[in-house]
Order: sequence, then structure tokens, then C-alpha cells
Amino acid sequence: MSKNEIDIHTEDIASIVAGLGTEKRSVIPILQAIQEKYNYLPEDALRSVCEMTDITTQQILGVASFYSQFRLEPVGEHMVKVCVGTACHVKGSALVYDALRRELKLGDDVHTDSAGKYTLEKVNCLGCCTLAPVVQVDNITYGHVASDKVGDILHDFENSKGPTGKSRIRSMDRKEIDGEIRIGLGSCCVASGSDKIRQAVEETVQKRGLHVNLKHVGCVGMCHQVPLVEIVPAQKEPTLYAKVSPDKVKSIINKHFSPPGLLKRIQNKLTDTIENIQNDGQWEGIERYHLDVREKQVSSFLGHQVLIATEFRGIINPLDIDEYIHRGGFSALGNVFRNLSPDELIRSIKKSGIRGRGGACFPTGEKWEAVARQDAPTKYIICNGDEGDPGAFMDRMLLESYPYRIIEGMIMAAYAVGASLGYFYIRAEYPLAVSRIRQALQVCREKAYLGQNIMKSGFSFDLNLFEGAGAFVCGEETALIASIEGNRGFPRLRPPYPAEKGLWGHPTLVNNAETFAQIAYIIRNGSDKYNAIGSATCKGTKVFALAGKVARGGLIEVPMGISIRKIVEEIGGGVAGGRAFKAVQIGGPSGGCVPASMADTAIDLESLSAAGAMIGSGGMVVLDETDCMVDIAKYFLSFTQKESCGKCTFCRIGTRRMLDILERLCSGKGEKGDLEKLEELAGLTRKGSLCGLGRTAPNPVLTTLRYFREEYEAHLEGRCPAGRCQELISYSINDECIGCTLCSQSCPADAIQFRPHEKHEIQQDKCIKCDSCRQVCPAGAVSVQ
Amino acid sequence: MISLKIDGENIKVPEGSTLLQAAEKAGVEIPVMCYDDRLDHFASCMVCMVKSRDSGQMLASCSVKAEEGMDIITGDEEVFEARKASLELLLSDHTGDCQAPCQLACPAHMNIPLMNRLLGEGKVDEALQVVQQDIPIPSILGRICHAPCEGACRRKTIDEPVSICLLKRYAGDIGNLQHVSAKTVNQQALKKAIGNKKVAVIGAGPAGLSAACYLQRAGYQCILYEKSDRAGGLLHLAEVMDDSYPEVLDREISQILDTGIELKTNMAVDKDLFEKLLGSSDAIVVATGEIENGIRSWNIESGKNGITIDKSTYQTSHPPVFAIGNVVRSVKSAVRSVGHGKEVAASVHQYLSGEAVKGYPKMFNSRFGKLREEEFGEYLKESHPGKRMEPVAGQGKGFDHTEMQEEAGRCLHCDCRDLHTCKLRIHADRYAANQRRYKGDAFKPVTKVFVHDAIIYEPQKCIKCGICVRLTALHKEKYGFTFIGRGFDVRIGIPFDESLEADLSETAKEVAMACPTGALALK
Repeated sequence: MSKNEIDIHTEDIASIVAGLGTEKRSVIPILQAIQEKYNYLPEDALRSVCEMTDITTQQILGVASFYSQFRLEPVGEHMVKVCVGTACHVKGSALVYDALRRELKLGDDVHTDSAGKYTLEKVNCLGCCTLAPVVQVDNITYGHVASDKVGDILHDFENSKGPTGKSRIRSMDRKEIDGEIRIGLGSCCVASGSDKIRQAVEETVQKRGLHVNLKHVGCVGMCHQVPLVEIVPAQKEPTLYAKVSPDKVKSIINKHFSPPGLLKRIQNKLTDTIENIQNDGQWEGIERYHLDVREKQVSSFLGHQVLIATEFRGIINPLDIDEYIHRGGFSALGNVFRNLSPDELIRSIKKSGIRGRGGACFPTGEKWEAVARQDAPTKYIICNGDEGDPGAFMDRMLLESYPYRIIEGMIMAAYAVGASLGYFYIRAEYPLAVSRIRQALQVCREKAYLGQNIMKSGFSFDLNLFEGAGAFVCGEETALIASIEGNRGFPRLRPPYPAEKGLWGHPTLVNNAETFAQIAYIIRNGSDKYNAIGSATCKGTKVFALAGKVARGGLIEVPMGISIRKIVEEIGGGVAGGRAFKAVQIGGPSGGCVPASMADTAIDLESLSAAGAMIGSGGMVVLDETDCMVDIAKYFLSFTQKESCGKCTFCRIGTRRMLDILERLCSGKGEKGDLEKLEELAGLTRKGSLCGLGRTAPNPVLTTLRYFREEYEAHLEGRCPAGRCQELISYSINDECIGCTLCSQSCPADAIQFRPHEKHEIQQDKCIKCDSCRQVCPAGAVSVQ
Repeated sequence: MISLKIDGENIKVPEGSTLLQAAEKAGVEIPVMCYDDRLDHFASCMVCMVKSRDSGQMLASCSVKAEEGMDIITGDEEVFEARKASLELLLSDHTGDCQAPCQLACPAHMNIPLMNRLLGEGKVDEALQVVQQDIPIPSILGRICHAPCEGACRRKTIDEPVSICLLKRYAGDIGNLQHVSAKTVNQQALKKAIGNKKVAVIGAGPAGLSAACYLQRAGYQCILYEKSDRAGGLLHLAEVMDDSYPEVLDREISQILDTGIELKTNMAVDKDLFEKLLGSSDAIVVATGEIENGIRSWNIESGKNGITIDKSTYQTSHPPVFAIGNVVRSVKSAVRSVGHGKEVAASVHQYLSGEAVKGYPKMFNSRFGKLREEEFGEYLKESHPGKRMEPVAGQGKGFDHTEMQEEAGRCLHCDCRDLHTCKLRIHADRYAANQRRYKGDAFKPVTKVFVHDAIIYEPQKCIKCGICVRLTALHKEKYGFTFIGRGFDVRIGIPFDESLEADLSETAKEVAMACPTGALALK
């Protein structure tokens, strides 16, 4: 730890502490506040905290070093985060990371450039899987990053710095409006530039004096088409525009809305002309971006879906409580208060057949009953929004887009189990979700949906928000509770279950955000209607994050029991780029790879576990023929190995030893007997680990070994059939070469000599396998073997 | 009360008892490491696993509470293998030596590091006592040994090996044997316990002398048969620069014989005498040096190289007869013959006490590869930095006292401080764990941290059981231990790299004692 890199003022620390409390449990919020202020955790600040509070030095350092959000070393002025989530991984994020290292001239084990301007780090998942690979520089997100374009990103960032303009939206009188313009403001949309679209729309609307209602909607789910803009003229059919760029906004708006007066219209025409000349912009037909819901592509994307948790997707403004109420929000809660006793409510939930959406599929009604049964004066409920799966983002989207729906579900759950206080546990990597929930809670308190005597029912309940600090294991309920209590996220043995002894020893209900999002639907439409959706054993719907090599990725909500084929081929539009569908990875680090040959497997508890996978968190990453299954197994193992809390032997060392073997295989150093040892270790880790993380960690290895053993055997012989594993492949230039020299120019290692109009050649001893040449080659002349 | 089954036996335990406590009640011993009865359970090491008969699930018995109707298996093959695997995984990330490499390389497995430390402190008599436990002729071997220990010495990787052989010679030459004799004074009592059992040892070379010495010390009456006119065998033929060698030879051989061994010189044992000895003694140790044709006619199996033996017990095809030294296989290494002699004594003792003959007890030993450059500094923290001493008086004269102390101080203390109490070693031995089975690509580099006057911390031996963390928290130490980081790289450290000195006074010793491995040990 560096000492006194910056001046720490005790008063600053004191004011942080004063706002957050001096108990042991305040440690994580205090650390977050300190890091917010200093950009890292200076040792002196931590020492002061220990002097002012009940927090011990052991606790503060144990916690600060456990969660990945916290930094004990100073960092550069700006953070460059390379997403290494599953979807980004299969789309080459490792190459992007390497390219950034070269761009910033970082030596081994150095993460900040010599000027102290940029610090480079890997992050597990930014939740923008459909834009993979993704890089974030401070708050600007760049999608579809090519490894040879990383310089452009930093350049663009340099240019876009500076204070952001204030929102210039005008308040509109509802009666006057000519229509509505909806802009997607989920993280994917924002990452793809919807914020710029918003600015352009606001500017256009203001300049032209249009009387339209500008509306921010949550995630529309069609994340492969972002940014999305929907135009809803009054009394006319809505039109959805996909992949909109800011310069097209004006044309789109002009097509649908006429400015109020003739003079204004002429004025606008004139400005347009001048602007066109100045910008040298070419007017392109806006139809190109026009995406009609009735078109086949879109209807098959949306057609198989059943919207429960994501009801009114793309229509509803996440934070507009009046609109939520207008569309039936809080009617379920009112109904419960008027007509159902807690017991009756639990019976309805049991009858609906809903199971927990967090991965383990435990029947929700039974969990509620177990908490309700406890005779205790204090009980808690917790919404688990610590979505740690590196290929999943549905909790994020639900929290961002439907905060009131989740809150409504939680109030009903609290009523059922007899809890008077609850927590949202949301990972800090989801800043938008955190701020939306924070605002939504405030609105609910103002409107008396939270607090004393809710809806005059006599029932009182309030909710707090806890920001998780970055630990996959905290998705496990006992680790999550340990984290709220201010400890390292060590899971503990169950029983006792949280239903008996949870938060601070009191009975606690922990449900996933998606589970809570489905409760209102069940009450409004009846248990039977919900029960009719889904398969024999798994009822209702499940939200999946569909990403990877699929043509149309995004968030989908489908009935349980739907086949993998339907999802990949019909909803997802098959594999992109005409490549062959190889497998789908379901359930992230705890799940498994189901091969294309088993695409008819139904998505439910039994069928998936028979195939060796699990629904898990709901990440669904499609893999094609260029994906190496050993590499995929290695990817997940390195994830779980890093995320293991390190408490029990099998998970801490067992996963590491499995990773050692996989790393050997991927670098051509495999030894005879390695596959058997891998299976043996996988079996032991599954049996001997303390919690779910360790027990399921071997799944990605076991399923790939089961369905793709020949690929493992090829690696033992030093071959990577998919051409992925860097140390087993080589790049060469074939006869398609047109001598354009692009490869030579892009090569960062000077491995290709500049020879205009001649066939180029790669010097193998210099080649660093960065893939730049293949990406720039216009003739497909770079082969990988 | 809760009733449950442990290995089929019905047990009743109070509510809230763990499976470990229930098993204890059923008289079943379960290995534990991260468990400490003063502290809240933690369930980290997973060595205490048992199995539920119904679900087949493995449970950490130290933490799982006994429930009504449970049916627990504590010792079938699956449980054994799972415990063994957890030990092997822990060992794969446990960088450290149990016994030092020099001791492992020494054919007599002499406790070299302990001798070095005692010599370094000037405690020569005590050093000799340590030497005598494995080598009865240190002065002789101190002049003629080819010293394989020095080849294995870790100091050799840094500069030059410790001059072990000359140090041992110093102990033998200067140390006072009175203390050693005092230790074996109870011979009479031993003899009483054993009864008047006789062992005939054939051949009074280094192997035979050593065997007779340790058997006699253990309480047996040894009769040593020597075909020539004096004891010592090949020891007399060694080429030694030192003129005092004949005296040294006489002194040490006499010391051995003076323990009460009956030496019969000019007694070549032939077939007839051998048969006779079989009748008159309780066991025979053959240490004739050579396998002569006569011996091949004895009623014991022999092969191309010599008499056929069980390698770990030295027992021949005829149970009361054991064979050691060059007659088993000609190597002509005195120290190896001495080692045989010490080890066969254990086998003979087992045989004569009616126990299963298993040979000299060999414990599990954790080992790691060569010392790497970044580790040199860590190892040098505890030793004299200078070069290997050459005796000023000449190699033939050996060290003087100052030289001896300085040279002994060069020892790196590679051996573990918790050699005999380390639970990881004890369990690894019991479960026949193989440290190499799950070996990783590279061991973490060894460090030695001095956090406190009284204790030393070697993080790479740590198994992350958290006992020290829980214990210092229990004692509310200001800068106690804490977990730092997570996953495979999690480690135990002290906040802000503070020293434990200020606060951890009484707790320090307690923590070092509670550490199940040698990671935290008393200095």
C-alpha cells in the first residue's frame, strides 16, 4: 500500500462516517464513499476510519481486499475497462485487451501508463453483451471494438471530454402534444449511443418547437438493434427505428411531425440546408433504418416471447409511477391488502408453481412459507440483484426498466412473510440500476407505497439499497448476507437456512429480482393463468440474456420448456455470419455447454440438468464453429477460480488445479493422463465444496468433456481444431492477397514487410497473433491454422 | 437429545452437537485442521468430511449439526479418498520442507539441522546427543564420510553447502558422551521389560556395529561375531589424512562395545554355527560385508547381488534372520551401512515384540524443488552470510570452536519447526497422501516473515484455515491477522503491514501453537 500519495483530511473522513454510521456494518458503504472521493482507498483514510468507528483494522482490510470494486493502489486519471464477460470473450476481448496494453505501452504487471493518465483493467461483465466486445473509458462505453481500433477509442475519448451539457428538454403540457418519441435508455442503448440520440432529439424538438412528449423507456430487449427510437404520432401507428445515428434524428422527426407554424417551417428548412452544407453530410433515405414490427425478423424475435417480468417492454417509462399505476401497477398490491391474508397470498404463490429465478429453481411459495412460519418479531427480505454471471444482464435490465414492479413484488412478499424491512442488493457495476432504484424508492415513499400504513392497509414496510462491491460469490445467499453485515463474502454452511437465521440472525427471505418481478402478474391474472404457462415441472417464463454468435441478441422472456433451437434459430435468427452453430452455453460459470446436436433440449430444470447444464443466472451465449470448447472451459474456470472466496480447499485449490491443466492443454503442454485427472478433480470439487459456487464450478468442464472430448484430445496432441488457442495456431497469408499493404500497416509487431502489389508474408518469429491483419484484410487472405 | 447413526451405531447427542462431536461419542476419530474448540467453526480444510448414507453428500463434520435420524458414514473408501484428495490439494499449495533435504539425503537420516543449531549455540554435548540418535560413530564418519547430505544442502544453491561432515566430526570429537550414556542408563529397565532376549550379529563392520549398538541400547543382549581379530571391518582400510584416525577408531568402537555387547573375534560363522545360532538366539542380523559361497548354502534366499531382503524391513526369507550392509548389495558406503544398522534394530525390535514387522518408521515429508533466486534472501534471513569455512589448521585437523560456530550458523533452517506437531504432516502420513498428485505448474515462492520476536510466519505453508484470524479477533488484538484477497491468491496478513510486536504479546504464542501447520511457529 502506498502511503500518503494524497493528503487525507480527517474532517473529510469524519463527514463520510457521520453520514453512514459507525457500526461494523457500515464498512462497505464507507469504503465506497472513500473510493468515490479519492479514486482509491488510501491507507491513512482506512486508519482514520478504524479510529472513528467500531470497524477493526482486520475487518477493513479483509473487506477492502475481498471485493473487486476496491482499489488499494492509486490509479490513473481515467479508467479503461475491458469487459471480459462471456460474450465479449468469444468475440475476442482478450485481443482487445492486449492491443490496449500495447497502445498504452504497459510493461508486465503494470496497469497504469507512464503519464498516469489511463489505468487499464478487466471487468467481469458490463452487461452490454450484445455489443461485444465492449470497452468503457470512464463513463463512455464503446461497443463492437476491433483490436486494431483501440487507438481510435482513446482519441475519441480525448475529444469528447469536458463538461456534459445540461438536459435541454422542455416540459410539455400533455394536452398539446402531437405524439410521443420513445428513446431506449437501458444500459445497452446508452452504451450504443442513445444518450447522444437523446441530445439530438431534445435539440431538434426544442429548435423546432414541436409539441411532442419525449419519453425515456427502459430496455426494449432488442439489444442487437440499438440504439432504438420509437415514434408514436397521436392516433397513428407507431414506428420503430433501429440502429439510429444522431445525424439521422432530424430526418426521422421531420418525417412524422410538422412544426406548428409556417414561418417556423421555413426557418427550419433554411437551417437544415445550411447545416447540410457545413457538415457536408449526405442525406440518406431514412427507410433504411425503418424497422416494422410486422416484418418477419422482428416478429419472430418478439413472437415467441411471453412478457411477464418485462411486461410493457419498451412502452413504459421506468420512473414514471403514474404511468405504472395507469397500466395496472400496484393493483395487485391493493388486491392483496383488501382480499388476501398472508396465508392466502402464500397459497396463491404456491399454486402458481413459480420457482426462484436465481438459478437453483427452488419453489418460491415454499421459501416464503418457511420464513412466514418463523415466530420472530424481526424479519427481513432481500432482493438479490447481484448478477455476477459474466454473460447475463437480465437483473440489470429488470432493475433499470421496471423498478416499481420489483418493489411491488417485494412489498407483497414482505406482507406474506411478515417482514418490516427489506434490502435491494445490487452490484455496484450497475450504476444505472442503482440510481433508478434509489429514485424509485424515493418516489414510492413520497407516494406512500413505502413507509407507514401502506395504501391504508395497516401494513408498514420500508426498503433500503445496498450496493454490492463486486464478488460473484455474493450471489449465494449466505455470502450476500455476510456482505450486508459488513464482512468478507464468505458463504457459510446451510442449514440453518436464511429462512431461519439470516440477516443479523433474523429470519430472512432472499429472492432474485426476476422472481419479485413476476409476483404482480400472478396476483393480477391468477395463479392458474401463470401455472398454464411453461412446462410440466417449471411454470411461467424466464428472462434470458441471449448473446454471443447469434444474429439477433438481446433480452428475451420466454415460457419455460421452450427448446434451445427455437431460441437460437427463431428468436435469435440463427448464428451470425453464416457459420455453423456449435453449442450454447447456458447458465454461465455454473452452467454447461449444450451441443448443437441437442438443440431440441427443453429449457427447464430437469432437461437441462440431464444435459449437465442448468438455467443458472440465465445467461445464454451462442457459440459457433470458431469457438474452441477447451478455451471456453478454461475461460469459465479462470472466472470461478478468481471469484472463489478462497475459504474451502476444493474450490480454492481444486479449481486452480483444473485451470492449470486447461492452461497446459491450451498451450500445447498437455500431458498423458491430464483428461482423467481433470475429470477426477471435477468430481471431487463438485462433491467436496462448501457452497454452490464450488459445487457447480466444474460444470463447464464436465459438459465440454462430455460432448467435445475429441477437441480435448486434439489439444493433447497440440492442435486446436477451432483455431483459437494462440499458442497452438499460426497466421499466414494465402494467395488471395492483393498486395494492399493494410496488414503490414496494421501489424503492431512489424512481422509483415511492406510490399505494395506483392503477396505479403508473415514472419512467424515476430508474429504476436494479435489478429489485426486478419481483421483489416479486405480479401480474406489471412489464414489461421 | 438427538439420535443418529454413526457407522451403523446408534448414538444420542444433545441438540446442537456437531457430527464431529457425535462421532467422538461413538469412539470414531475424525481428522481436523481448521477446527479449534475455542472458536466458531469455519469449515475450510474439508479434511473432516463424512458422508450421509441417504443423500451420498459429503459433509464437513466439524460444522454440520447432528439431526434426528441422520445416518453417517465416517470411514468408507469414498470418504477416505475425499479426505486424501483434500490433503493432496492442500499439499500441492504447501511450499516447504518437513525434514530438511540434507536429512532426507543422509542414508542414516541424521537430524543435521538440529545438530547445526545446537552447535551454533555452542551446545556441543547436546549436538552430540542428537547425532548419536542416528549415528554411533560420528568422529569416524566425520573423517571418512562421502557426505551425500552436503550434495542436497539448500545452501549449495546459494553459494556452497554447509560443511556438515566436519561439524559432525566436531560434535563427535569434542562432545561429551556422558550425556548420551545418561540417556541410555535405563538399559537395565529396558532389559527387564524385554526379558533376556539375545540377538546374534554376524560381522563387526560399520553395519554390524551400528545394529548391535542400537539393539543393545534398546535392551537386547547382542553377541557380535567377527571373523578377524578386531571389530571395525572396512573402517580400518579407509584412507584418512588425519593421523589421529586409529585412536578415533578405537575410541568409538570401544564406546559401542562398552554398552555391554559381547564381541567374539576370530569367529567365522559357517553353516553349522549359523544353524546353532538360530537355536540359541532370538534373532540374527547378518552383516558380513561380503556374500561368500558359504552364506549361499545357508537356508536363506539370495540373489545375484546378495542376500534377498524386504527392502523396508531388512527381513530375509527366514523370519528371524535379517541382513544389512554390503552383504545385501555392495555399495561400500560406511554411512549407509550405519543407517542400515539403525533401521534394522527397529525391525528386529518389532519382530521380537510380536508386532507386525514394518521397518523403521518413515513419516510423510513435504518437499519442494530447488531454491529459486528470489528465495535466497528469505532463507539467508536466518543464517550467517559468510562463505563456507575451511579449517585454518587444515582439513585433516577439523574446525576450532569459532570456526565451528560460524559454519554451523550458515545452516538455513530448512527443516520445519513443527515437524512433529504439524497436522498436515500427520494426516498426510496417515492417508498416504501424494504431494505430487495435483501438483501445480509452480510452487509459490517461499518467504519467511518475522512478525514478532517469538514467532516466525512462513505464508507458503499456510492452509488458510483462519484459526489465527479468529483467534486474534477473539482476543481483540488491534492489528491481528486477517484474510487478504480472495480465491487461490488469498493470504493471511497483518493490516497495513504492521508488526505484531506492539500488541500481539501473549496471543502470539497461542496463535503459533494453534496453527495446524508450520506456517506460524515459535522461533
